[in-house]
Amino acid sequence: MIRAENLTKRYGDTTVVQDLSFTVHPGSVTGFLGPNGAGKSTTLRMILGLDAPTRGHATVDGRPYAAHRAPLTHVGALLEARSVHPGRSAHHHLMALAHTHGIPRARVERVLALTGLTHVAHQRVKGFSLGMGQRLGIAAALLGDPATVVLDEPVNGLDPEGVLWIRTLLKNLAAEGRTVLVSSHLMSEMALTADRLIVIGKGRLLADTTVDELVRASGGTSVKVVTPEADRLRALLPDARITAEGPDTLLVAGLEAPEIGRAAAAHAVPLHELTPQAPSLEQAFMDLTRDSVEYQGASA
Amino acid sequence: MTTPAITPARVLRSEWHKLRTVRSTWITVLTSAALLLGVGILMGATYTSGGGDSDVDTVVLTLYGSQLGGIALAVLGILVTAGEYATGMIRATLTAVPSRVPVLWAKATVYTVTVFTTSLLTALLTFLTAQVFLADTDQAASLTDDGILTAIAGNAAGVTLLGLIALGLGAALRSVPGAIGAFVGGVLILPEILGTLPYEVMDTVVRYFPTQAVGVLGSAIPLPGAASPGAAFLALLLWAAAALAVPALLLKRRDV
Ligand SMILES: Nc1ncnc2c1ncn2[C@@H]1O[C@H](COP(=O)(O)OP(=O)(O)OP(=O)(O)O)[C@@H](O)[C@H]1O
Ligand SMILES: [Mg+2]
Repeated sequence: MIRAENLTKRYGDTTVVQDLSFTVHPGSVTGFLGPNGAGKSTTLRMILGLDAPTRGHATVDGRPYAAHRAPLTHVGALLEARSVHPGRSAHHHLMALAHTHGIPRARVERVLALTGLTHVAHQRVKGFSLGMGQRLGIAAALLGDPATVVLDEPVNGLDPEGVLWIRTLLKNLAAEGRTVLVSSHLMSEMALTADRLIVIGKGRLLADTTVDELVRASGGTSVKVVTPEADRLRALLPDARITAEGPDTLLVAGLEAPEIGRAAAAHAVPLHELTPQAPSLEQAFMDLTRDSVEYQGASA
Repeated sequence: MTTPAITPARVLRSEWHKLRTVRSTWITVLTSAALLLGVGILMGATYTSGGGDSDVDTVVLTLYGSQLGGIALAVLGILVTAGEYATGMIRATLTAVPSRVPVLWAKATVYTVTVFTTSLLTALLTFLTAQVFLADTDQAASLTDDGILTAIAGNAAGVTLLGLIALGLGAALRSVPGAIGAFVGGVLILPEILGTLPYEVMDTVVRYFPTQAVGVLGSAIPLPGAASPGAAFLALLLWAAAALAVPALLLKRRDV
């Protein structure tokens, strides 16, 4: 379990993380979302004791990370930047880390197998592809069989197969009862992976919610209906939240397509189109973070 | 199976594992050994009695290559610390050992043991090899002669402590080129410049600078106008201690 309390980080005059408080619970994947430069990596580095907070503090399993006698068994982390000597083999890299805690060689071999690196374990990391490098980072994170796993943008630059592998891995880790915190700037990715969401922008907490809640807040699933008798249909669906998209087009939330179709058929309202709309989490995320995007792209 | 936990011995083992599993360690150690031995053989083979080098200390003459070899070992010291910042490995290291400072002590320890042992063995081999050539000259000497063994050990200790200063500079500056520049400029060249200044006091002060102290430690016959071996050794220890204490303090305070 991770708890951040009033975490604040300033670099010179700029406040990168401001008064951030949240708790990450075991048993689910928590997505840590925010646009580029929102302060995600900085927050994760503070949790791991690599950066000192200007104010506030973070604890893991009730203590600051650095106060644990065997920190690798509490938190395993994949950081954003590569953290490995390119001239050393994957095996030796992991062995060197394992030695600090007296973790046995068998565990090193286990995580190498788990991440599919056994056959390249004795090659120098220099020759690794991006995906293999990312797998090595995850192997290092799992080394201490930690109760909490923290991954900073683990899918960045991975091919679809690699993305799927990470998604499955994270879900399995959470299913085993671990605390999983994974950062991303892609809502679409988090919608597929995470159960809970912590959204930040410009270093401030914007939302601490679940994916389901966010779906609901963003209007939930809705159905696009095209009918020449829009007003009559509206009257037939008193419980639905309806917005007009055009004279003939309605966006109906709170009802499923079959129910709308049945109601229309019962009263002989002709329908020209009846299409369930995918919830736009991406839109919800953009609405949430609109005011806190660091670098707004100028539209031509 | 023992419970996983950080102990100083384990951190030491980790640093030893790191040191021996990168090529740069082998390259720098072998380079320094080759320079020491090569220059020693050259000195022995080209020596003629009564020439310009007759008044040179035998150990200084045969181990002349340790000045160049020492630079290779200083580079190793810098790679051990600053090298981790260049590769990013430091983030993995300090995540595994978040109390941080034990890492620096462990690095200094494995470096000291490795460099002192290899330097001492190479210096002994070099002295004995050079003496094969010097047997019939006025530089003939044996290990059992007065001061010879102490000077050979002193040479190895001096090179090691100089390398520890470089290791400390690497840890403080966190940049390989920066630390090499600081070592060459501040440790190797600066005392030479200070020594040429026309102030009496400079001569006395410069005696206790690292390179001068190393020279004293590696001489079988006491040098006139230099610090005593005991004082030189103490001065060198203090330099190395200071060069490690500063980054130890910084390591605690700085963000990684
Ligand atoms: N060491 C530092 N010194 C000064 N500014 C920094 C430092 N580290 C990060 N920043 C700034 O802090 C802000 C937040 O950076 P951070 O890397 O935490 O964002 P992020 O949410 O991880 O972004 P991204 O999605 O691009 O990875 C950025 O504006 C960055 O330029
Ligand atoms: Mg980041």
